[in-house]
Amino acid sequence: MFRFIGRRFLQTIPVMLIIITGTFFMQRFVPGGPFTAEKAVTPEVLHNLEAYYHLNDPLWKQYMDYVWDLCPKRFHPLALVNGLDFKAAFGIDFRPSFKYPNRTVNEIIADKLPVSLELGGWSLLVALGLGLPLGILAAVKRNTWIDYLCSSFAMTGICIPNFVLGPLLVLAFAIHTGWFEASGWYSPIDRVLPCLTLGSFYAGYIARLTRGGMIEVLHQDFIRTARAKGASEARIIFHHALRAGLLPVVSFLGPAAAGILTGSFVIETIFQIPGLGREFVNSALNRDYTMVLGTVILYAGLIVTLNLVVDVVQVWLNPRLKFE
Amino acid sequence: MIHTVMSRKSWAVLPLAAVLALGGCTRRDAAPPPVGQAVLRISQRNEPGDLDPAIASMPDDFFIIRALSEGLVIPSPDGATPVPAAAERWEVSPDQLRYTFHLRSNERWSNGEPVTAEDFLESFRRVLSPGTAAPKADLFFPVKNARDYLSGKLEDFGSVGFNAPDSQTVAVTLDRPMPPGEFLPYAASGPWIPVNPRAVSRLGSQWTRPGNFVGNGPYTLTEWLPNQRITVKPNSFYRAAGQVRLAAIQFVRFDDEDSEERAYRAGQVDVTMKVPTERIETYAHERPAELHRAPLAETRYLSFNTRRPALNDPRVRQALSMAIDQRRIVDDVLRGGQEPADRLIPTAISTGVLDKGPPRGLGYDPAEARRLLAAAGYPDGRNFPHLELSGWSSAPVLEAIQEMWKKELGIEVAIVLREARAHVAALRSGAYDIGFITLIPDVPDPISILENFTTDSPNNYPHWSDGVYDYLIQLAESAGNPAKDVGNFDAVALRGAESLLLTEAPLAPVYFNSKVWVMRTYVHGWREDALWTRYYGDLWMDSTGIPRH
Repeated sequence: MFRFIGRRFLQTIPVMLIIITGTFFMQRFVPGGPFTAEKAVTPEVLHNLEAYYHLNDPLWKQYMDYVWDLCPKRFHPLALVNGLDFKAAFGIDFRPSFKYPNRTVNEIIADKLPVSLELGGWSLLVALGLGLPLGILAAVKRNTWIDYLCSSFAMTGICIPNFVLGPLLVLAFAIHTGWFEASGWYSPIDRVLPCLTLGSFYAGYIARLTRGGMIEVLHQDFIRTARAKGASEARIIFHHALRAGLLPVVSFLGPAAAGILTGSFVIETIFQIPGLGREFVNSALNRDYTMVLGTVILYAGLIVTLNLVVDVVQVWLNPRLKFE
Repeated sequence: MIHTVMSRKSWAVLPLAAVLALGGCTRRDAAPPPVGQAVLRISQRNEPGDLDPAIASMPDDFFIIRALSEGLVIPSPDGATPVPAAAERWEVSPDQLRYTFHLRSNERWSNGEPVTAEDFLESFRRVLSPGTAAPKADLFFPVKNARDYLSGKLEDFGSVGFNAPDSQTVAVTLDRPMPPGEFLPYAASGPWIPVNPRAVSRLGSQWTRPGNFVGNGPYTLTEWLPNQRITVKPNSFYRAAGQVRLAAIQFVRFDDEDSEERAYRAGQVDVTMKVPTERIETYAHERPAELHRAPLAETRYLSFNTRRPALNDPRVRQALSMAIDQRRIVDDVLRGGQEPADRLIPTAISTGVLDKGPPRGLGYDPAEARRLLAAAGYPDGRNFPHLELSGWSSAPVLEAIQEMWKKELGIEVAIVLREARAHVAALRSGAYDIGFITLIPDVPDPISILENFTTDSPNNYPHWSDGVYDYLIQLAESAGNPAKDVGNFDAVALRGAESLLLTEAPLAPVYFNSKVWVMRTYVHGWREDALWTRYYGDLWMDSTGIPRH
């Protein structure tokens, strides 16, 4: 297993390098730059700005300098605990942001990533906490009103987009009843509405996948054998069927977790959450070159890691697969 | 059986129906707080890039900076000549080349140090140093040799037109004579706001963080949660500290008017930036006392790419311009108190002499437009090339214009919406046909607007070139031989230039934008001018109603 993980880790290095190179050059060919504005800066000012950010250097030199700054130069992972400082931990320097000149991209990531992780984590819990029981219930009580109720909830969750559900929840529970704040990310109670909004979409998906997986498994021979041997219904569902029935959910969770973490832009905008999703999208609009690269690299790293975790969990759940 | 079916159906729709029903009902009202703990919450649309007046570039950045620091003078809220701030008075030399500002004796930094003339000079030197890369350094160009120092041609700051005869006096020598009405708006602009040189050299770029920030304004920085909120509290060393009547101001971040408006209704914010167009009428009807409208010095215009076939003919541009019914766009599409633009210089900018018999645009005249188009060789729009109308926002306005051209002139244009910076890049490189764009001047100076359309200006999006126009602008800029009547001479050249621009029509002004926002009735003393400059020193909140939770 460690050999498997080690080999997969080595494979990620060229993947990351391709992503960095592609992003670095692609954003330079996008029309408009960090200093493009409806009212142009005067030539003297533009010259000073470009000199300040070394944009006058040849592109290949800018690229080499940047990649060198990114290369890990030390290994103190414990420094990450102390405020997610990638520079202190690995010597990875994402440089200062163009848009926020007094902040480094390292600092912005350290500041915003925990918020996005928290939002994503709670939302994932909501998604699993709602989706799994609903899916199992629907599969076990197949074609009864319970199934229809669970399935219509799941479909509703999938069909109502975040940007509709979010404002509806705000209208009902913030403006009308006053139980929650309409936006913000200050106290624990502020987590409820955003996580519910983001989680419910994935809950719907997970419920449908669980239902499908469970129905398929519940029809298999080994379940009939277990029943014939007199196992209780609870034991059949939770011990025998669930492990196999969850496989589609587990494969979905990798991309879903990545999607929840990276795709939280809409939720962050509706609820004014200071997460990384907003920085990610706005950095592209601002042509904040260093911020774009920093967030892309971070998200790429997250997705690669999550996919690896999913692969390991799948082997563990499915005896037919082996590490190789 | 029937019972089961019914309950199944109603269960499935129950949560949604409940949410929808609640949405249409009452809303929560925020109660104003008692004065002693009055915390004013103002919506902030864009996260400030930095709170350093030399580095900041957007009006949104200066919303906060102007609460923390103030320059020699500050813009007047009514758009007239700037009023005293750090300087209590000033003298102008008879030739209008030299301004001498006298600082207030009680002017202090928020760390207690006195504000000196040397601090101002060091701040100005910092903005103009090439290494600082200050994006708005061009607002110092009226000062003698400032431009050459910025570009690195001059290395001795002593030859730039600043000096301090004593620690209470800042003297400014100009490049050309400028009357107070023309020069003081520059001195009141953002980059002229001083910084504490000792704090900057000690802390580097970190000096703008809470706890580090040293300013000379009514408030001081106590909290900066990026993309969340910024809090300022009264500065006890402020020259008029006794007049500051709020316990704190919070600038709360909102990405758009919809989330901001929801937060306003939930009682989380007291002053918003903008009311969504579709909600203006509701507020006007239900809460008229909270709805505010103010004109902005912001012209939205169509730029015609004069290098394109058809558009290189002034008659075609005039026809396109005259077929736009601005009144209908303002009244039926925008509905926010905007004003039809019959000229380029916004009415919100008081231009003195220039306003006596101001130049008029071509107006709305569809019959004349059809005649001009036919004269140019496109009767009823026949053979007219297929053109694109591009923008980055305001799709409803573009659609209205598209429809008017189709109806009045029989020509079809396609609407192209681009991402903001891609749109500006296309305008600048000339890779467009007709573009919709916003013009916001940095200072309320007509020259700063009109000089955008000289042949070599980077903002000359129509890529239009007219020798007479360039000459008129040059005349206006070099005017000011004290023997002549400066104001009038300027004004004649400028009026001629604007008339030429409007009749040659490389661009078609569409409307002057306005600001529509909501603000609680317990907020008093709100001062903001047409260029988004705010003054917070007069703000207070009354104690009507119950204290906030």
